[in-house]
Amino acid sequence: MKKYKIFIFSLLIIFSLNLSAKDYKASLFGVKSDGTTLNTGSIQYAIDYISENGGGRLVFYVGRYLTGSFYLKPNVTVQLEEGAVLVGFHSVYDYFEVNGTKALILADTVENIGITGKGVIEGNGHAVLKSIEEQIGKGYLDAGQLPAKPALINFNACSNVTLDEIILRDACGDVQVYSRCKKVKINNITVESTSLPDSKGIVISGCNGFTLSDSYFETSGTELSSNNTSKDVSVSGAVNSKGKKIKAAK
Amino acid sequence: MKLKSIILSLALLCFTGVFAKDYNASIFGIKSNGTTLNTTSIQKAIDLIHEEGGGHLNFYVGRYLTGTIELKSDVHIILHEGAILVGSTNIYDYNIETPNTALVYAKNADNISITGLGVIDGQGRDVAYSLLDQVHKGIINDQLKYDRPANRRPKGIYFRECRNVEISGITIKNTAEWVQVYDQCENLKIDKITVDSKAFWNNDGLDIVDCKDVLLTNSFIDSSDDAICFKSHDATKMCENVEVRNCVARSSASGIKFGTVTRGGYKNFKIINNKVYDTYRSAIAIQTPDGGVIENILIDSLNVYNTGNAIFLRIGERWAKNGVGSMNNITIQNVYAEIPATKPDAGYPYEGPIEDLPRNISPASIVGLPGHDITNVTLRNIEIVYPGGSNKTYAYRGIKPADLDGIPEMPDRYPEYSQWKELPAWGFYVRHAKNLTFENVTLTAKEKEYRPAIVFDDVKGATLKDMEYNFPGSGKKLFKYKSTEIIQK
Repeated sequence: MKKYKIFIFSLLIIFSLNLSAKDYKASLFGVKSDGTTLNTGSIQYAIDYISENGGGRLVFYVGRYLTGSFYLKPNVTVQLEEGAVLVGFHSVYDYFEVNGTKALILADTVENIGITGKGVIEGNGHAVLKSIEEQIGKGYLDAGQLPAKPALINFNACSNVTLDEIILRDACGDVQVYSRCKKVKINNITVESTSLPDSKGIVISGCNGFTLSDSYFETSGTELSSNNTSKDVSVSGAVNSKGKKIKAAK
Repeated sequence: MKLKSIILSLALLCFTGVFAKDYNASIFGIKSNGTTLNTTSIQKAIDLIHEEGGGHLNFYVGRYLTGTIELKSDVHIILHEGAILVGSTNIYDYNIETPNTALVYAKNADNISITGLGVIDGQGRDVAYSLLDQVHKGIINDQLKYDRPANRRPKGIYFRECRNVEISGITIKNTAEWVQVYDQCENLKIDKITVDSKAFWNNDGLDIVDCKDVLLTNSFIDSSDDAICFKSHDATKMCENVEVRNCVARSSASGIKFGTVTRGGYKNFKIINNKVYDTYRSAIAIQTPDGGVIENILIDSLNVYNTGNAIFLRIGERWAKNGVGSMNNITIQNVYAEIPATKPDAGYPYEGPIEDLPRNISPASIVGLPGHDITNVTLRNIEIVYPGGSNKTYAYRGIKPADLDGIPEMPDRYPEYSQWKELPAWGFYVRHAKNLTFENVTLTAKEKEYRPAIVFDDVKGATLKDMEYNFPGSGKKLFKYKSTEIIQK
């Protein structure tokens, strides 16, 4: 009887631990909110650390956090509180790519990842483009790189992806790219990316289970672009700046 | 008899002038090398000068590293051109267990001053990170509000209950918290100072708290939090007889602000011939959210460029036990303001937070509470230029009764012009106010607006004279709701 009780008790503890993913404040890892410190290294270290220690949320409070590309790892959610802005660094060399597409936030073959909260991800599109053009002009960068302008988000072969509430702004390339992902849930986000031409809101291909709901799009390119290779795509309550309902463009 | 007293005062003046002794910092072993920590030797110098009846402590060119020093009565610090008082980056060099820890601290000291063309550099960012590091190591206990230390970040200057205070000529840079605070001081003169502080959160440029007889002139204040700020922390005190002239303010919060904490209140203010630019929130914000009384405020000749909002007047009720405050007899005249479509403080360190979205460009606002009107407000010779171009798909607030009644009162919220998110007007939104005068007010929207220029809700008595509205299309000018005695001439 006693053993049985202990067993249930431990089960409960394990269960509750899993339910309440741990929160880590960004400053614990030396991430700085001043808008001038490049935080890439600390943010990546934080995400790796959280993932290796059972997962949780990396929480950014009010401030501007300058960063280059980083990778999300299993069971890590980036939580951007209201007033927190992740700002993309201007230099093209601070962006990595997955599947041929550069992005500020990357994820490759991982599960249970998310970006949530009322904060902002700002791509700094003009400055990044200027850096690309400059480097091509000087001959350091292949001219073929120009079409591969960094997106804000590029997730490849990930499952259980959540985007909730965030504001995505001013991408250099497309805003979000999801390839061969499973169970992607995007709800209540705001996408504003008009300062450079043909910045698409969302590009999906080969996904299985994609839900977009209650979101606002103001983009220079198509709001939602799907090449017909995705299954189980559902869109509801998403509008563009002219008040038009958004459907998956084919 | 009169002659006698004049002669006597003249003699007294000469006496104090002649006998105010000069001391050079070097005689106390204070080093100007920028690496020697001088805290104890500077304190020794201050104590000795104070005990010997007062005098000037002269710092000549050099960098003087120090932790907290406490100024005493009759001690005058002169930072000559090229002299820099440099704050230590070690948090343990400050009086962190005293409330309001500061680099230069004074309590109950009379006749004190910091003058000259020198600099006080708080090195606040490094100080704050030194403190944060100790918090993360568990050595200092702090709950980290918004992921930054809530307590123990040193201010630049904190003077409490001091009389006859003068600050002039100096530049104050980069503190870890508020740059300078004068709390319950009397006869305070601040002239020709420069504040350049974008080092960390809560870098208010200048806080005058419950002070009497204040003259602030010819100063330039650029700070990441509120630039020129009046506060009232004590319900039994208030800020009284304050004059601000010929100042320039830049902020990633508000330019000239009354509040936030307003327990006692503000009375008899003249704020004349000032400029606000590149400021994220309001150029002029007058708020009583904590029971304070605000009376007789004159804002005259204010030029505002690239600033998020021109005017914000607000009664709130954050802490019920203090009751609700009042705001009466506010005159704002000769104001020109340009509001941009883009973020006014973009590119400055510690930009103001993006919040209260979605909303289109917010109007100026005068907002009391039900049963607590803002009374007797005169707006004269005012021109505000807005970008216009609101998008009602992005954010919408109409003028139907359900829309207007749907705007929450939000009495307990931290007051901010953006707090209601989308408001139903683009020029002015007025709610719960009594006896208003709008005279020669010009409102311009450059692009088309879906909202009226002005919305009055629960306004009891207003006279609008010589109004001018410029906007493309055929929008409404003034929309009245639940309002009485609105006279348009």
